Amino acid sequence: MLPRSTTSLFCVLFQALSAVSQGLGEFETVSVGAPVNGDRFRIEGRAVVTDIKPHDWVCTARVLVEGEEDHVGFLKTDGSFAVNDVPSGSYVVEIVSPAYKFEPVRVDITSKGKMRARMVNFIKTSEVVRLPYPLQMRSSGPPNYFIKRETWGWTDFLMNPMVMMMVLPLLIIVLLPKVVNTSDPEMRREMEQSMNMLNPNPELPDVSEFMTKLFSTKGSGKSGSSIKAGKSGQLKRR
Amino acid sequence: MAAMVNWLVFLFGLVCLSAAVFEDQAGKFDWRQQYVGKVQFAYFDSQTQASKKLLVATEQNVIASLNSRNGDIIWRQVDKTGPEGHIDTFLVHGQDAITVSGNGRLLRSWETTIGGLNWETVLDTGSFQSAGFVGVQDSVKYVAILKKTAISLHYLSNGHQKWVESLLDSETVQYEVVYSGGSGLVSVLGVVPHSHLTITTYNLEDGKIMKQVSVEALWLESLKPGCAVVRDGVLVCADPASRSLYTLKLEEEHEQEMRQVLLQSLDVELSDGFQPHVLATQPSPAQHPNAEFFLQLGPDHHILLQLGDDAIAPLRDFQQALLVSFATTGEKTVAVVMSPKNETAYSINLFSADSGRRLLETTTTFNHDPSGGKPERLCVHAFLKKDDSVGYRVLVQTEDHALIFVQQPGRVLWIREEALAEVVTMEMVDLPLTGTQAELEGEFGKKAAIQDGLLGMVLKRLSSQLIVLQSWMAHLWKMFCDARQPRSLVKNEVTIETLARDEFNLQKMMVMVTASGKLFGIESSFGTILWKHFLQKVQPGSSFKLVVQRTTAHFPHPPQCTLIIKDKDTGLITLHVFNPIFGKRSHITPPSLGRPILQSLLLPLMDQDYAKVLLLIDNEYKVTAFPSTKRVLQQLQEMASSVFFYLVDSDQGKLSGFRLCRDLTTELIWEVVIPTEVQRIVAVKGKRANEHVHSQGRVMGDRSVLYKYLNPNLLAVVTESSDLHPERSFVGMYLIDGVTGRIIHEAVQRKARGPVYFVHSENWVVYQYWNTKSRRNEFSVLELYEGTEQYNSTAFSSLDRPLTPQVLQQSYIFPSTISQLEATITEKGITSRHLLVGLPSGAILSLPKMFLDPRRPEVPSEQSREENLIPYAPEIPIRSEWFINYNQTVSRAKGIYTAPSGLESTCLVVAYGLDIYQTRVYPSKQFDVLNDDYDYMLISSVLFGLVFATMISKRLAQVKLLNRAWR
Repeated sequence: MLPRSTTSLFCVLFQALSAVSQGLGEFETVSVGAPVNGDRFRIEGRAVVTDIKPHDWVCTARVLVEGEEDHVGFLKTDGSFAVNDVPSGSYVVEIVSPAYKFEPVRVDITSKGKMRARMVNFIKTSEVVRLPYPLQMRSSGPPNYFIKRETWGWTDFLMNPMVMMMVLPLLIIVLLPKVVNTSDPEMRREMEQSMNMLNPNPELPDVSEFMTKLFSTKGSGKSGSSIKAGKSGQLKRR
Repeated sequence: MAAMVNWLVFLFGLVCLSAAVFEDQAGKFDWRQQYVGKVQFAYFDSQTQASKKLLVATEQNVIASLNSRNGDIIWRQVDKTGPEGHIDTFLVHGQDAITVSGNGRLLRSWETTIGGLNWETVLDTGSFQSAGFVGVQDSVKYVAILKKTAISLHYLSNGHQKWVESLLDSETVQYEVVYSGGSGLVSVLGVVPHSHLTITTYNLEDGKIMKQVSVEALWLESLKPGCAVVRDGVLVCADPASRSLYTLKLEEEHEQEMRQVLLQSLDVELSDGFQPHVLATQPSPAQHPNAEFFLQLGPDHHILLQLGDDAIAPLRDFQQALLVSFATTGEKTVAVVMSPKNETAYSINLFSADSGRRLLETTTTFNHDPSGGKPERLCVHAFLKKDDSVGYRVLVQTEDHALIFVQQPGRVLWIREEALAEVVTMEMVDLPLTGTQAELEGEFGKKAAIQDGLLGMVLKRLSSQLIVLQSWMAHLWKMFCDARQPRSLVKNEVTIETLARDEFNLQKMMVMVTASGKLFGIESSFGTILWKHFLQKVQPGSSFKLVVQRTTAHFPHPPQCTLIIKDKDTGLITLHVFNPIFGKRSHITPPSLGRPILQSLLLPLMDQDYAKVLLLIDNEYKVTAFPSTKRVLQQLQEMASSVFFYLVDSDQGKLSGFRLCRDLTTELIWEVVIPTEVQRIVAVKGKRANEHVHSQGRVMGDRSVLYKYLNPNLLAVVTESSDLHPERSFVGMYLIDGVTGRIIHEAVQRKARGPVYFVHSENWVVYQYWNTKSRRNEFSVLELYEGTEQYNSTAFSSLDRPLTPQVLQQSYIFPSTISQLEATITEKGITSRHLLVGLPSGAILSLPKMFLDPRRPEVPSEQSREENLIPYAPEIPIRSEWFINYNQTVSRAKGIYTAPSGLESTCLVVAYGLDIYQTRVYPSKQFDVLNDDYDYMLISSVLFGLVFATMISKRLAQVKLLNRAWR
């Protein structure tokens, strides 16, 4: 979840901070949009979703042309589209579909009807990165609407640094005596010596011993009391 | 590297704040209802017997296909709003549906099975008159488009134009009807009012004029709706003045006169208000129309007539026929007549069109609530049954835009409330408490405590606790029963009887007001329509304002809503007072108002029944209070000096503030004039009355506090320049104090244009506009701060504020146009705010307000990092994870309504437009309830594991001790 979001946001920032100017390409003719009448033109193109037939998605998709005034176009059953009645100007053409994601394209139409398509760049609006016209809109797949739930798995648990810190010493404690041969009397003596050296104050009671003592007394106390209770009960009964 | 780490911290913060949806949450607490709008044209797909498709085109510029079994939308195509997308005509032939839209601008053909476009052609300019299919030799190949000045013929297969001919004398002649009877000729009928009729016949192949005839008709004004072509090309016209029918053969070679047939000669009784309407039928465009036709004589009076060789013969007279229609199946044509049966039911009968005889066993009776208005339109699908008798299904449209689908014998299969496609305004009202909850509430009432003694109170307490226990047991039992049944059988049915507030007040009643004047009560968790009420006297184009005068909190007083309906032309208003839970009209009589009302305001003042006081200011600046009991008036007099209100006159560019006087008159105290030559006022917005602000300031990186400027009387006024030139146009934002009229701040965005969407809340205003220079949408945010010290921390008074606030502003690029803007709201205002942005694609983006913070630094510093400020980036990202409605898009969002719930973390959202979508959002995640993915299994297994481990280790320790003792 996290790495994904970082990358996408980084992309945006990259665009923002290092918008590489590609030079202002002069307006050259690509094709002349059929002038319908007066100065109304037609934006044409085709939308493609890889491996999906247009039949399955065109009914939920629309073509939005946004600019000085907004226009709406519909997709044909083969995935192509033509938005009629568009006056000259600069527009952002976008295919909206809840099921598939398409990148918008900026289309400029001169007053004579010359068209060109370029990448949308809202920060450097005059930058020109040419795209083919008639438009070729290729879907980048279905949009990601949902975030994944954080699931609990054994690997997550084991890879946790805290757990690792706990498990490693444990392994050492368990495995080390096996590696070192303790039956060897010399070795044992050596170890005892080192242990004595480690323990600076032999008078200090061992914690574990202390604990077992504490619990055992409690336990015996309990059992004793229960016996007592039983006795007293017996007594009473008498 | 350090910067990188910081980035990660920021991003982590963002991810935490974003209101995204988990996949398993889809459809859990959200729902969408899709509508098409008021139907203008409706056809049954009659290609096959088993077809279950309906094709409709609506006033909302929508073309759709409905499933006739259940009323669901199979596909839907939404065109532009307004006259540019208006569907002029809609014709269906086989697989193809033809539309002409935008006043004859675009001709489109649609594939009806999948809803894609076959082809689209641009037509020449000229206002659209009529269109029709043209067939030759039993096959339909062309479509003819008649415009004011020209007629054109297009191929049905690809939309190419076959020929176009301009019409003669189009300045004087109104051409209205195009007719073709399958004979290779196309006739255009035009009329010069009160003079003559012209018939021009064209050759189908090359568009040559075959002949042109002009016939004198001094009485004729228009061909629609009093004329129709019947039989082998005979024009029948009804003339109300002379009470007669005229007939004329269109394909006659020589000059002729219209034949007059007096209606009296047909033994027809005529009422005075005779507005003739002739209805004929042409089953196939490649053949002649039928010889039978209906003539409407009165509002409920129709007659079926037959045109013979030389005379008109009446076949049957229908005295009580509300609606009539024809339907054809195979060779048979039937006449369908719908008549009222009693107050609440209508009956439909079939009659043979040839003879006028009633067909046996074809009566259908269906019930219809009379409050929904009369049926307006009838669309019939007839089919031949196995025994060769005629069966049929009917689509009925009523005055309240509802579609009712009826099947024989009188079963209403489905109802679509298409009025909901045009929701104008809405409110969310808390649901009432259940009986037991109400009992508990009553126990602690003031009166009870005084009446009963200590013992009584204790007893009452015990009994109420018992009741609670009882209801809890019942609840457990119900849960147990539900758990035993398979999941599919458990229905979450909500009825008006079982309505009760839930634990967290998440389920509410949505009161929706539609443009047609129909009110709906929709329960918010599943979207069930619980009540509907049609206001029949509402004029189209009226504006509505809905206020909640009394909430559900004042048991036993019922909640009360008031709908203010303002007539568009006269400005007069009517009040509709009703109970929002049950939809019933209240017994309270609203005040009668004889003058146009300029402004209405709801005061926090309450009368003895806990109803808030509504003040209505008329055009003489007099004030009417509702309710206006003595006590209310007294309270008003006391409070008068602190009641201020403002009026906006955008025509004169004037904003004026008034104060209420003790005698319920008003006095002008300030006036701000914004000259209309330069700019005009587009919108004025105050803050929401139910908004709470939790924190008075922001803690900065250096531990000082920046106090917010929280002026509840602040108005945000948006202006747009009158000069629309891209270089000189601008958008202005004025912040004006509504009490004193002082302009607190003004901001101007140069080279900008509307439409401006804005939200005004807390101490900030966010607005969006179109940058004409860079051709992009931009957001701008204004935040107001008092500074590091508060002038008066206990109370705010507009009259005593010597210091002007510090204003911070920042602007951002938004990579899309927007259709709506609203902010989330929560109960106490602790949760961080998000902006809900409706996008033109239908998605609703939940944008954290953090992104629109004017204190975002260009260069991040240690302090800004500590404050969690995101470094400034010019572009605001749109991420599909932030769409709160995932793929459930809302077409043409007209409004987003937000309401707080009982949970601080949760905000209820309703987006309405063509569709209605309801969901919940958690701007700061669900911090006050356990997440629904809370892992109960893990926690309990760990807990049990630990308990077992202690038990075992205890046992082991005992054994060890014992062993040691033995040693």
